Amino acid sequence: MYLELARRNLQRAKVRSLLAVIGILIGVMAVSAIGIFGESLKATVLENFEDVANELIVGPNYYAGYRYVDEKDVNQIEKLPYVKSAIPVKSDTLLVESKKLKAYLQIYGLSEKDAEELFDAEKGVIRLKGSCVVGKNLADTGDIKVNSKITINGREFRVAGILEDTGARFDINPNTAVIISQDDFSKISDKGYTMVIVKADRLDHVDNVKKAIEERLNSREDKVYVFELSIILERINEAFAQINTFLMAIASISLLVAGVSILNIMLMSTIERTKEIGVMRAIGAYRVTILKIFLLEAVILGIIGSSIGSVLSLAGGYAIDYIILQNVKYVFQPGTLFYLILGFSVGLTTAVVSGLYPAWRASRLEPIEALRFE
Amino acid sequence: MRVVELVDVSKIYKTEFYEVKALENVNLEIEEGDFAVIMGPSGSGKSTLLNLIGCLDKPTSGKVLINGIETINLSDKELTELRRDTIGFIFQTYNLIPTLSALENVELPMIFKGISKYERERRAKKLLGIVGLEREMDRKPNELSGGQQQRVAIARALANDPKILLCDEPTGNLDTKSGEQVMDIIKEQNEERGVTVILVTHDPTLAKYGNFIIRLRDGKIEGIEGG
Repeated sequence: MYLELARRNLQRAKVRSLLAVIGILIGVMAVSAIGIFGESLKATVLENFEDVANELIVGPNYYAGYRYVDEKDVNQIEKLPYVKSAIPVKSDTLLVESKKLKAYLQIYGLSEKDAEELFDAEKGVIRLKGSCVVGKNLADTGDIKVNSKITINGREFRVAGILEDTGARFDINPNTAVIISQDDFSKISDKGYTMVIVKADRLDHVDNVKKAIEERLNSREDKVYVFELSIILERINEAFAQINTFLMAIASISLLVAGVSILNIMLMSTIERTKEIGVMRAIGAYRVTILKIFLLEAVILGIIGSSIGSVLSLAGGYAIDYIILQNVKYVFQPGTLFYLILGFSVGLTTAVVSGLYPAWRASRLEPIEALRFE
Repeated sequence: MRVVELVDVSKIYKTEFYEVKALENVNLEIEEGDFAVIMGPSGSGKSTLLNLIGCLDKPTSGKVLINGIETINLSDKELTELRRDTIGFIFQTYNLIPTLSALENVELPMIFKGISKYERERRAKKLLGIVGLEREMDRKPNELSGGQQQRVAIARALANDPKILLCDEPTGNLDTKSGEQVMDIIKEQNEERGVTVILVTHDPTLAKYGNFIIRLRDGKIEGIEGG
């Protein structure tokens, strides 16, 4: 019955109640939609790093006087448990010349199999026997095409393929580099393995692999360092969580405004209904009953506004994702549900907190004073 | 049984600049089943007296006993329960809740008491029958005439079967015919159910309904007639 009474009181001032609901609705929508967008943005960025998340990079410990990882160590790493593959990489900065280009560039020495595992060719094929493949940016700036010829440190190579743009990577960055076979590499450079890209069989085995490598290779002295790329994922996650919190804090200002409007509306309502409160107190309503009736009004406004706001925030999140990310596949991921619930709870809490003071004020009215009110 | 007893009751309203003695050393006893009419000019303290008996206000000094209970030291919760269970209020301006139907308005004091929906509906319908409004029970106050609204207010006042009915100028806003209807119902409750009625008015024609009349002037009892 109290609920019914609260509902009818809200209905009595339809426009005013509608405005309060719209206020909450906009606030909830802003918070949830921005939360959904933030989550989608994070998912989109992380997508690029997912295939490197189970990677570890093993490099020589320069501080202990090591320049390279030696062959024996690479073999040992390959045999460790949970290791899916170990790709030894040689690299050096050497003079590259083509018709239009003369520059010192990064040259990687890889086995053909490993190169195929790591990269895809946009044009031509990945073949390293007597030939090379070049990165997309290098091909564009140096006007290098499939089958054109380049020289590295005075030795001629035919370009067998041009690699796809891989975006940012943390192990090898081939976009501005040339990849040749390890045999050819040893003919033009005396450098050994500068890193080993180790892939764990599963993401949750990365730590085990790291420990195993350190135990096996660094038992006597620290020959190598091991760097987990999953750390980068954690950093990205942290950074996005911060950005998201900040964005939602800004969005929640609109909820604050909605809260103030509910406070205002309900204060007006308590003043207008002072005499009614007096009558109810006179005929046997406890203070807490009056408090309950007024709080219920705030709860109703909060539930209606927050529910509609949550539903509309899905559309809002969809629209923002579509406009900014041009990709809406992350709108309907499990994380979205969290932001819908969060938006709903924050909206409802705002309404209740805003209704608390007017309701308390109404309940504190002395019946005799309230009855005299005209 | 003595249902209302006032002992040396004074009520003084103080503001920053002046003091108003609304009631001064009032002593009054009303027995169960009495119909007391309190009369006096404006500002004589009639409403103040009624508010004190109705536990809506506390005296500055003196004692107010309702149904044998000393009210001065009661908590807000206890006063609320005393009003809810022992006293029925009838106001000059009816004071019905505008969002509720006639039936719901009558049910309201029973809701506050926690009576079950079935029981309060049954009782509210019966009471609306007594005041002759069973056909209007689904109407909202703004769909009823002044006389009908006041009759709903009487039904509401009787909802929790009170011992005392406090009526503050109940016919003040009504035409003669409606006023008489309302007074007949109140009188009937007094005579047939033994409800103690305390009625405040400055309309001398209502004096005939009471078995005694208390005349107030300047916050003091000037005289008691009848009884």
